[in-house]
Amino acid sequence: MNNRKLDGVRLVLLTLVWLYVGVLILAPIAGLVSGMFRDGVGAVLEVLSRPEVQSAFGLSLKIGLFVTAVHTVLGTLVAWVLVRHRFPGQGWLNALIDAPFAVSPVVVGYMLLLMFGRNGFLAPILEIFGWRVAFAVPGMVLATMFVTLPFMIRELIPVIQNLDRTQEQAASTLGATGWQTFWRVTFPAIRWGIIYGITLTFARALGEFGAILVVGGGVQGRTETATLFIYRSLDERQYVAAYSVAVVLGLFSMLLVMGADLLKRKQRS
Amino acid sequence: MKLTTRNTHRAGRFFILLALASLVLAACGGQAPEDASSPAGDTVTLTLAAYTTPREAYRVLIPIFQEQWLAQTGQTVIFEESYLGSGAQSRAVVEGFEADIVALSLEADVTRIVDAGLITHDWHSAPYSGIVSTSVVVFAVREGNPLGIEGWADLAQPGIEILTPNAKTSGGAMWNILSLYGAALRGHVEGVPADDPEAAHQFLLAVLRNVLVMDKGARESITNFEQGVGDVAITYENEALVGQQAGQTYEMVIPTSSILIENPVAIVDVYADEHGVREVAEAFLAFLFTPEAQAVFAQYGLRSVDPGVAEQTAAQYPALEDIFTIEFFGGWPAATADFFGETGIYTTTVLEVPSLP
Repeated sequence: MNNRKLDGVRLVLLTLVWLYVGVLILAPIAGLVSGMFRDGVGAVLEVLSRPEVQSAFGLSLKIGLFVTAVHTVLGTLVAWVLVRHRFPGQGWLNALIDAPFAVSPVVVGYMLLLMFGRNGFLAPILEIFGWRVAFAVPGMVLATMFVTLPFMIRELIPVIQNLDRTQEQAASTLGATGWQTFWRVTFPAIRWGIIYGITLTFARALGEFGAILVVGGGVQGRTETATLFIYRSLDERQYVAAYSVAVVLGLFSMLLVMGADLLKRKQRS
Repeated sequence: MKLTTRNTHRAGRFFILLALASLVLAACGGQAPEDASSPAGDTVTLTLAAYTTPREAYRVLIPIFQEQWLAQTGQTVIFEESYLGSGAQSRAVVEGFEADIVALSLEADVTRIVDAGLITHDWHSAPYSGIVSTSVVVFAVREGNPLGIEGWADLAQPGIEILTPNAKTSGGAMWNILSLYGAALRGHVEGVPADDPEAAHQFLLAVLRNVLVMDKGARESITNFEQGVGDVAITYENEALVGQQAGQTYEMVIPTSSILIENPVAIVDVYADEHGVREVAEAFLAFLFTPEAQAVFAQYGLRSVDPGVAEQTAAQYPALEDIFTIEFFGGWPAATADFFGETGIYTTTVLEVPSLP
């Protein structure tokens, strides 16, 4: 009796979960994929071979790789400092890291324009060196760095907190330098956190839209990423183009996240 | 220890996979922009910042001009194009988007660039006062016009769902509001007495109460309508015509009264001179006013400013019973302040509708 009741609950729960995920995630993806192939596979291949599409993917990847590389090194550093050191203003720093979660990406774009735009307060300095940040790739990189900042740090902080410090102490007792201790002892222990942080950061960077539209201006072939191309194609009623790029971009990001997830689970078992 | 080595291998393999996947995508993608420079090296780049709706016309116009310029001078022109809402585009240029030429929805957005000191010449001295195309405000309605929308008055009926872009970012939205209010003041809205600002205000309020979505730009607004949102989209005539050309099945209703939408083009002097492209920029601008280019605008839904082309395409673009220009409101500076300023008619009326941004 008790068992049957439990089974009923289980059934309801499972149905609910599948409905929830199905409606929210599977249905839109199914719609996207069917829209992508409505003119056949040839149309999709034609879209993906266009120079403008390839340059858009290229720019997305370049920004994503650069941003991820920087956050991998500096994000690890920040997480490390936040866990292992005690200093005045630590609480503030900790809270600041979450700011990108709270600020709308469009606002991030405008904030950068306030700094780097023609009337921005950094404009005189930029002019001296002839640097272009707003409406160019550097501005888009900065915008993406801003919105992806928390991912690596938030992923690593609990991992570092859970480290067994006796191993590090043993290493230094045995005469290892700080650097050696980090590479030989600490790094292997937090490696999985870093990999997971990398995939999240990279996936989020590829998906960024609002901030880079505002700060990049959406110039076709120059500051147009894959997401901005999707936006423009929808405006131009080129639905197959928009859907095809969306599916490729989404698939790539999902494979990244799922790959990391899978590895993490394997490593745990 | 053995476990650690295996994990290191796995991590290594994962990194290699990630790097490979990125490389593959970057290889199909990466190099296109860098290779764009022509081998002859005699190229010049023009940057065009435009509002969202004439893009189909520019897609045809730009290659024609590129060919002509190449034949005349042996120089290859590369175009960099950006299409955003007129207001957003104008602000981007002011903030440092270094466009050589702007093609915007309305004069006020050019004036913002003039005020920023970036356009230094009298752009009104160009042919046709720098106005490259015109249009009127129309309604896109569902196939068969099931709600029987014939004119402005019908938009105020309770329960009708309307799409119009956001006046803070879109020039088209400003035209829509001014057209609606002007038609009311001029006695072309059934049931709204002429020359009665309070009655016009009540009419504007009634229509705004029916607004369902305010998009960033005119194009986004009409494509949303195409996805099945709402009953009516207030839009440019050219937007509706281009949509129909693209196979959309909605119908277009032209009201008896509309403002004449005038779309300016201008060279942004400071940027064009900085880039050393004044000569080709001026040539492109002059080209836009040729009958050949004007015919292309007419083909993509815009009313031509060239009298000859306008006459040839008159059948496609019926005259309205009542058409008025921005001068009816005393010109753009006055209209901007009176309608869209902090205490403007639109600004205060929209606050009376809690559901709108």
